[in-house]
Amino acid sequence: MSATTATAPQSGHSLWQEARRRLRRNRLAMACLWIIGIYTALALYGEGVYRWHQWRDVTPSYQRTDLDKQYLQPSYLRAPFAREQMDWATGETYTVSGWQRWGAGWTRLAQHPLGTDGLGRDVFQRLVQGTRIAYQVGIITSLIAIPLGVLLGCLAGYFGGRTDDFIVWLYSTFAAIPGLLFILAIAMVVGQGLLGVYLGIGLTMWVGLCRLIRGEVIKHRDRPYVAAARALGLSHVRIIFRHILPNVFHVVIVTFTLRFPAAIGTEVFLSFLGIGVQGEPSWGIMISNARLRLWHGVWWEMAFVTAAIFFIVLAFNLLGDALRDALDPRLRTEGEGDHE
Amino acid sequence: MNKAASPLIEVQDLQVHFGSPAQPVRAVDGVSFQIAPGETIALVGESGCGKSVTAMALARLVPEPPARYVGGQILYQGRDVLQQDEDALRAIRGNEISYIFQDPGSSLNPVFRIGYQIAEAIELHRSDVPTRQEVLDLLRWVGMPDPARAARAYPHELSGGMQQRAMIAMALACHPRLLVADEPTTALDVTIQAQMLALLTRLQAELGMAILLITHNLGLVAGIAERMHVMYAGQFVEAGPTEAVLRAPRHPYTRGLLHAVPRLEGTRERLTGIDGMVPHPARLPGGCRFHPRCPMCQTRCEVEAPSAAEVDDTRWSRCHFWSEVPPP
Repeated sequence: MSATTATAPQSGHSLWQEARRRLRRNRLAMACLWIIGIYTALALYGEGVYRWHQWRDVTPSYQRTDLDKQYLQPSYLRAPFAREQMDWATGETYTVSGWQRWGAGWTRLAQHPLGTDGLGRDVFQRLVQGTRIAYQVGIITSLIAIPLGVLLGCLAGYFGGRTDDFIVWLYSTFAAIPGLLFILAIAMVVGQGLLGVYLGIGLTMWVGLCRLIRGEVIKHRDRPYVAAARALGLSHVRIIFRHILPNVFHVVIVTFTLRFPAAIGTEVFLSFLGIGVQGEPSWGIMISNARLRLWHGVWWEMAFVTAAIFFIVLAFNLLGDALRDALDPRLRTEGEGDHE
Repeated sequence: MNKAASPLIEVQDLQVHFGSPAQPVRAVDGVSFQIAPGETIALVGESGCGKSVTAMALARLVPEPPARYVGGQILYQGRDVLQQDEDALRAIRGNEISYIFQDPGSSLNPVFRIGYQIAEAIELHRSDVPTRQEVLDLLRWVGMPDPARAARAYPHELSGGMQQRAMIAMALACHPRLLVADEPTTALDVTIQAQMLALLTRLQAELGMAILLITHNLGLVAGIAERMHVMYAGQFVEAGPTEAVLRAPRHPYTRGLLHAVPRLEGTRERLTGIDGMVPHPARLPGGCRFHPRCPMCQTRCEVEAPSAAEVDDTRWSRCHFWSEVPPP
C-alpha cells in the first residue's frame, strides 16, 4: 500500500495526462512526432500553393512544362573555384569564374533543390503536392472510417443480441471481400479520381476499427461503473458515448495512427495503377512517371518519392506503437483504478 | 409483513428468470416484501442466492436480455415499475431510487473527475440548483475532508473509503427516497466499514430515506436494520424484526449463518460453516430447497416444499419444523 503512494501520480492528473507524460519521455516517439510535424507543415504549405494558384487562375510551377529544364539533377553547392568549361555546340572552351559557379549553385538550389522531371517540372514542388494529397486521403478516409467504425462497434458491443449479430455479419462480409478488389470495384463505380479512392479506402478501413471497438465495449459493458451510471438514470446513448467511449478511445487513436499510413500506401498504389488521382502530382503518379527513365540514370525523382513515403509510414507506425504503449492501461503503474 | 399503511415500495411475488424459457434459471423465485418510508430493511444470504438481482430489479436494472421478469409486481408509490417505459424508469433511477455498490473503485468512471461525475447526477434530475456549489456541499456532507480537492481528483487518486464516500454523495445527489446499498462495505477495511455505517445512519436520519441493505455481514444487519429477510436459492426463507430473528432464528439456514460468525463472548468453539453450496438456480433440489444441506432434514423435507409459516404476527419462516429450530 505504501509502495503505491510513492508511484501514484500527482493529484488532478488524468490518465490522458499520464499518457502524454509517458509519451514525452519516449525519444523515438518524439522524433516521430517531429517528422510528422514536418510533413504536416509541408502539406499545409502545399495546400497554400495550390490554393494560391487556383485563386490567381494560373498553371502552378509543378504543372508547367519547361522542356529546357528536363532532367536537371538535384542541386548542390559548387565550390567557388574557377573552372574551364566547353560549349558543346561550338567546341570552344571558356572559363567560368568561381563567383559565377557559386552563384549558379545557389540559384539552382533555390529553384530545383530536388531536380526536375522529364517535363522540366520541379520535383520538390511535386513532392509537396504529393504530401498534400496523401494527407487529404489519410484525413478524409479517416473521417469516413472512424465515425462508422466507432458507431457500429459501440452499438454492437453495448447492445449485443440481434444488433451485434447484424453488425458482425456486416463487417464480416466486408472483411471477406479482398480489400484491393473492393476498392477497385468502388473506384470503377464512382469513376476514376479521388472520390473513388476516398470511398474505397474509407469503406474498407472501418472494419478493423469496428472489431476492436466492439471487443473493448463488450469488456466495459459489464463493468460496475456502467451499472452505476444506469442506476443513476442515464440513457443508453449517454452511457455509450459519454462514459464508455472515453474509456476505449485510445483504441481509436492507435488505430488512426496505424491506418493513416496504410491509407496513404493504398492511395499511392491506386494512383500508380492509374485509377487514383488524375492530373495532379500524387506520389503514386510520380513513381509511375519516374520509373520510365530510371534505367537511364534519372534516379532522383524515384529516390525522393520513395524516401518520402518510407519516412512518413515509418514515423506513423513507430508513433502508433509508442502510443499503444503509453495508452495501454495494463502497462500503467499500479495504484490507478484497475485492480489486480 | 404488515407494516405501515402505505409502503414506499411493495414487491409482490417477484420472479426474475435467466436462460431460455424452456429451461429457466430461477434467480429470483416469488419474493415479496415491502419497505415503509424511512425504514431500514436488510437482505441477507450467501453469494449467488439472488440478493443482488432482487435489489437491481427494484428499478428494473437487471439487463433484459439475458434476464426476464416473468411475474410479480414492484409497486413504487402505487405504480408498477415493471410496467413502465424506459423514460419513466430513468426518471425514477437515481432520483427516487439510488444505488451504491460493493466496489467503489470500479463503480466510478476512471476517466472523469469526481466532481464531474457528481455534477452529472445533479444535472440529470435537478436542473434548478447551481451545480458547482451543490457538488461541494454534497462532498462536505458525506464527510470528505477536503471537498474542493476531492472534486478535482480522479477516482484512482482517492482511497477506498473516500471513493465510497464519493459514491454515496453521487447516489444521494438527488435526495432519493430509497437507497439500495448492495454490499456497501464488503470491499472496505473494518475501520472504514464502521465509518460508513455511521455515515449511512446519519444521512438516513437527515434525509428520512429508506435503506435496503444487501449484505452477508450479520454484524452490519444487527447494527442498522429494523427488519431482515434471509434469502436462500431465490426465495426468502425467513423474515422478521432483526433482533428477534438474530436472537431466536426460526429457520435452520439462519441459524447456520449465525454460527458461521465469530463471537467475542462465550465459549471458544470452532466456527461451523454450512456444508455444501447454494444450489445452482437451474438445478434446484425437490422439496425444501435447503434440505440437502439442512442438519434437521427429515423425509418430509425431501418431498414437500414448505410454505411461509407465521411464527407470530411480525415474522414468518419457510420451514416445516420451524418450532423445533434450536436457539443459536
